[in-house]
Amino acid sequence: MPPTGLEPARMNRKKGDKGFESPRPYKLTHQVVCINNINFQRKSVVGFVELTIFPTVANLNRIKLNSKQCRIYRVRINDLEAAFIYNDPTLEVCHNESKQRNLNYFSNAYAAAVSAVDPDAGNGELCIKVPSELWKHVDELKVLKIHINFSLDQPKGGLHFVVPSVEGSMAERGAHVFSCGYQNSTRFWFPCVDSYSELCTWKLEFTVDAAMVAVSNGDLVETVYTHDMRKKTFHYMLTIPTAASNIALAIGPFEILVDPYMHEVTHFCLPQLLPLLKHTTSYLHEVFEFYEEILTCRYPYSCFKTVFIDEAYVEVAAYASMSIFSTNLLHSAMIIDETPLTRRCLAQSLAQQFFGCFISRMSWSDEWVLKGISGYIYGLWMKKTFGVNEYRHWIKEELDKIVAYELKTGGVLLHPIFGGGKEKDNPASHLYFSIKHPHTLSWEYYTMFQCKAHLVMRLIENRISMEFMLQVFNKLLSLASTASSQKFQSHMWSQMLVSTFGFLKSISNVSGKDIQPLIKQWVDQSGVVKFYGSFAFNRKRNVLELEIKQDYTSPGTQKYVGPLKVTVQELDGSFNHTLQIEENSLKHDIPCHSKSRRNKKKKIPLMNGEEVDMDLSAMDADSPLLWIRIDPDMSVLRKVEFEQADFMWQYQLRYERDVVAQQESILALEKFPTPASRLALTDILEQEQCFYRVRMSACFCLAKIANSMVSTWTGPPAMKSLFTRMFCCKTCPNIVKTNNFMSFQSYFLQKTMPVAMALLRDVHNLCPKEVLTFILDLIKYNDNRKNKFSDNYYRAEMIDALANSVTPAVSVNNEVRTLDNLNPDVRLILEEITRFLNMEKLLPSYRHTITVSCLRAIRVLQKNGHVPSDPTLFKSYAEYGHFVDIRIAALEAVVDYTKVDRSYEELQWLLNMIQNDPVPYVRHKILHMLTKNPPFTKNMESPLCNEALVDQLWKLMNSGTSHDWRLRCGAVDLYFTLFGLSRPSCLPLPELGLVLNLKEKKAVLNPTIIPEVITGNQETAINPSGHAQLVGFQNPFSSSQDEEEIDMDTVHDSQAFISHHLNMLERPSTPGIHLGVFNLEGKEQSPLEMSMHPVATAPLSVFSKESTSSKHSDHHHHHHHEHKKKKKKHKHKHKHKHKHESKEKDKEPFTFSSPASGRSIRSPSLSD
Amino acid sequence: MADTMATAGAGSSGTRSGGKQSTNPADNYHLARRRTLQVVVSSLLTEAGFESAEKASVETLTEMLQSYISEIGRSAKSYCEHTARTQPTLSDIVVTLVEMGFNVDTLPAYAKRSQRMVITAPPVTNQPVTPKALTAGQNRPHPPHIPSHFPEFPDPHTYIKTPTYREPVSDYQVLREKAASQRRDVERALTRFMAKTGETQSLFKDDVSTFPLIAARPFTIPYLTALLPSELEMQQMEETDSSEQDEQTDTENLPLHISTDDSGAEKENTSVLQQNSSLTGSRNGEESLIDNPYLRPVKKPKIRRKKSLS
Repeated sequence: MPPTGLEPARMNRKKGDKGFESPRPYKLTHQVVCINNINFQRKSVVGFVELTIFPTVANLNRIKLNSKQCRIYRVRINDLEAAFIYNDPTLEVCHNESKQRNLNYFSNAYAAAVSAVDPDAGNGELCIKVPSELWKHVDELKVLKIHINFSLDQPKGGLHFVVPSVEGSMAERGAHVFSCGYQNSTRFWFPCVDSYSELCTWKLEFTVDAAMVAVSNGDLVETVYTHDMRKKTFHYMLTIPTAASNIALAIGPFEILVDPYMHEVTHFCLPQLLPLLKHTTSYLHEVFEFYEEILTCRYPYSCFKTVFIDEAYVEVAAYASMSIFSTNLLHSAMIIDETPLTRRCLAQSLAQQFFGCFISRMSWSDEWVLKGISGYIYGLWMKKTFGVNEYRHWIKEELDKIVAYELKTGGVLLHPIFGGGKEKDNPASHLYFSIKHPHTLSWEYYTMFQCKAHLVMRLIENRISMEFMLQVFNKLLSLASTASSQKFQSHMWSQMLVSTFGFLKSISNVSGKDIQPLIKQWVDQSGVVKFYGSFAFNRKRNVLELEIKQDYTSPGTQKYVGPLKVTVQELDGSFNHTLQIEENSLKHDIPCHSKSRRNKKKKIPLMNGEEVDMDLSAMDADSPLLWIRIDPDMSVLRKVEFEQADFMWQYQLRYERDVVAQQESILALEKFPTPASRLALTDILEQEQCFYRVRMSACFCLAKIANSMVSTWTGPPAMKSLFTRMFCCKTCPNIVKTNNFMSFQSYFLQKTMPVAMALLRDVHNLCPKEVLTFILDLIKYNDNRKNKFSDNYYRAEMIDALANSVTPAVSVNNEVRTLDNLNPDVRLILEEITRFLNMEKLLPSYRHTITVSCLRAIRVLQKNGHVPSDPTLFKSYAEYGHFVDIRIAALEAVVDYTKVDRSYEELQWLLNMIQNDPVPYVRHKILHMLTKNPPFTKNMESPLCNEALVDQLWKLMNSGTSHDWRLRCGAVDLYFTLFGLSRPSCLPLPELGLVLNLKEKKAVLNPTIIPEVITGNQETAINPSGHAQLVGFQNPFSSSQDEEEIDMDTVHDSQAFISHHLNMLERPSTPGIHLGVFNLEGKEQSPLEMSMHPVATAPLSVFSKESTSSKHSDHHHHHHHEHKKKKKKHKHKHKHKHKHESKEKDKEPFTFSSPASGRSIRSPSLSD
Repeated sequence: MADTMATAGAGSSGTRSGGKQSTNPADNYHLARRRTLQVVVSSLLTEAGFESAEKASVETLTEMLQSYISEIGRSAKSYCEHTARTQPTLSDIVVTLVEMGFNVDTLPAYAKRSQRMVITAPPVTNQPVTPKALTAGQNRPHPPHIPSHFPEFPDPHTYIKTPTYREPVSDYQVLREKAASQRRDVERALTRFMAKTGETQSLFKDDVSTFPLIAARPFTIPYLTALLPSELEMQQMEETDSSEQDEQTDTENLPLHISTDDSGAEKENTSVLQQNSSLTGSRNGEESLIDNPYLRPVKKPKIRRKKSLS
């Protein structure tokens, strides 16, 4: 960060052993939050907060707090009225900037705006002036009590009201409200220091309707009726120091369930759902036991509460001593599929109770430690609960995800360091958003960040052993719990904050091992490793010549140097080899242990000690190698592309016991459509001991192979006879047995096989009639009457299977699709879908899985031209009031329609919904889906891409989404996908065809004629799509030098802030406009307050001192603003001491003429 | 006399009100008699020289005649019973006529008058035979302990059961087929009905009836329908809880064996759980054992203390 004076750049990133250094000039010790009125009808909240703070510096004259959305009526410090201003630059990121439309500019401005209110930089939206009467008091570092009255009216974020519009009282209607948000979002509902690093104790009071329950953090001390006996006040005390960001609230007519196993745990759900709640939470105590056992540490809080609410922001949100879940996680004992998912969510939230809530982080760059540890212990729980296979499968899945994401976007950095050296190492220059703050991150990036964090923790475990790992966690926890019990020694509380440094130190203390290289590789650096492996067997030397290449030049990759494990399965057994990957060594010779001896009948020992008989006839007679695996333990974050012969993959599939190896071989076998592959896959499918997920993916691989082999395929369609054998009646093979889902493995297989079979195609590229009839029969004879479990997921998958069987319609001259020319097969499918969809209205299935599948299937039929493409059906299902899964499925179809039919109308409809839908999750999801399946992308011509749309989206991310960080980042994602980083191509040329060089006082014509100049620009490098002239126009101001641009904007926004202060201080007699706006209540008082200001010389001097350092850039900024409008005037104002800087900037467009500038263009920092 | 009147009246009124309804035999008989009497009256009137008569007067005369004859019959019956006989004799009639003030001696002359009109006897219709109740088989004789004057046994078919032996459909395939198509038909009919009676959506613009989709209707509380199992499922769950999964064709399968075992274990578990919950329930009653703040009673506001404080 640039040292602009106001922002302490030193912050807390010191790597020294000094511990935590607060970025704020005070220490918060206690906070009271009292909400005395909640109006569900008006969706409003009235209350006050009281913060007890101790100044840590003398002459503390203003206190910055975080507050968004809240209307602040009055601020008192130690019972004295205090003046305050409320300025939130994130409300509108780019002010008055109608012409700027490039994302680069926006992202910088947004990052600047966020850091201008970042509590970890000592900033905040709310700036309170300490009354002069208290200065002396402050100088003695005595306690200050800040009392703030506030209200919240129809909050758009932070607090979410759910008020169903039915008859009855609010409690009868099931109306509820809960806090929500992404990262530190507590400031949305009460003024606080919204940082994870400012811990304090809490007193929370909520007065609610007598029929309602208020659930919040800490212990419920008492519940007291109000005098009219109509309301109750819930008094909570949280004595464990906790960050404001971990404070939550849920109020509603909840049903209360005390956990039968642990009486200090209480569960809450909405009316009528109690039976589901009982079943769902009946498992939770086991999770508790597990974590407490491995961490050898009691659950840190004295109680725990789970609340299940509707319209959840995220499925799981963990707060201090309570977790808020989506009500859709609740399920009955009849539901199979949801059970493991819900248990995972419970376990996840509980892991975060220890790491994330109880132990908080020092700064944003330490977030990875918390996410990593909680994710890691959650993984251990997975291993224990679902078994090693599931665990390894999950690790592999997560690894694949992070690898794919990093290769696509260019890397995820766990521990970004923003040192003083601002130019060189912008750690995320490949990204279109800043990773400096959690609030500027794309949601997807954050998800991947968490994924990588726990994978890296696993790598650390691999390195230092699990025992040490758990010792480290235990140490962190015991330190924290000692600190937390120090009630009156708030300086000790920083022990409860974890930092990267502290964590690593703890590791080295406990294990005595140096893991610095590992940290450097995966934590301090982004990117994954991409290996290409191939081998040859040298028969003469009996040596395996392994070649491992790396790609470390493409984005998102990094070079790996170090040990790499290779496992070779030979005839004589399995052998591990550790290769040393070095700079230039590609080839590695691995001596083989066994001679080739294929005729001897002997059992072959496997890695796990098992000995098996193998049919070795497929092998290469000369080679003893059965299969080779690179990095089998996934101890590197990597992608491996390894070449080995098809029979080796087949052996690996059949005989390697590791599910990851099996998974990999299935993937590889797709490229070998041979009868031998077919046989191997079929065998795996039939093997009951085999992990069910492997068998499931074998289904899909088999379908692909069958399609590749279509001309030579003999026998019935793939998997049909297998399915018949496994699931159909013995006497009548065309009829499936009545459902019995007692064996979950076969249940999952039974669900999946038809879906995979429907992907089969005959020589005409149609789904074989036999298969379709088969699936229709499955549906017809489906009988669940005797089943203990619900078959809703099964039926839904049958519809998916039907959808999979659909192939494009043969269309004659693009005729309009009508009923008459409907393909008879499609007619049958449609018949089923209609019936299913209609039956859902009468007998709805759990989570409406069937409706969801039907909607998807209808879209498939539309897309393939069997049914007229029409979004009206989907739009009706997407309306508010449908179950969220249905809405998402319907919206997905509309998004797809928008893309395929290029419909402007639907796009508008979607955008409208993004802005107005009552459910934040749906808004987020629409943006996400639009980003995933965009109507057009930046290099594409599309009629949809027009100026109005650009303006609309710009407005959306600039000001329309200020109430929801996630949504705003989602809008940025979409903008990037549609238009890229630079100015959207559909915008007309700016009116100003000239670029002024202010220094040289001359205008130069449209820079299109000099395109070479801008090739140095980052934007054009990224987007060489030929609107260079536009870029050129913006060039001097926004894009010529990325890094400096950041400073400018930072200054711009923090400057806006300063100027308010100055306004306030310098012209006390005329209340500043901001006072007028924000200090609504205190209007009458303001002249009074203001009159004090001239006296306030001391603070004034501080202000001016602080601001001078940033003045030059500030003015520069002003200048470039005005330049936009009245370009001729501004040169007069332009006489500050920032000459060198501005000179460079202004010169930039013309540097083509000077050799010096040529250097700057080609400078390495730019040609990244 | 009064009786017959009444019955005749009732009969006629019955026919009148009943319209074309077929009358019962007794009514028919009355009507026939009355018709005959009417003919008699008419012929007497003709004899007396009337050319025409109003219907009402004919009716009245008929009524009088009928009363008269009835009275003769009734009195004759009384006299005959008076002398302990059941059948009236001529003398009874004569006494009756005398008693009624009729000169009996004039009767033979009147009967033999020359201008008398002869009325043909009404066609004799056979008494309709009441159809005999269907008799099937022979009635059982009374067993010895039942006195013979007791009514006879009813016809055997009313109490004898005859088991029928029709081959039941045991073919598994047919059964499944039947169950499947039945369910499908019901579902289709039901959904079509719902679609017909309510709002629909269609995938085809030109045709709204072939694939009618019941229109999507938003719920006020969507999660309830989505999460709570339907009543049908609840019912099913109860059923399957008690009954093992049975399938005649599948019993030979090994996996099923395992699964039944499982369900047994499962049941044990659930019973354990239930015990647990009942235990906790009882503990709940004690209150003191579970110290959960959410179970504590809500306190009354402390008004006085606050006052004293202020």
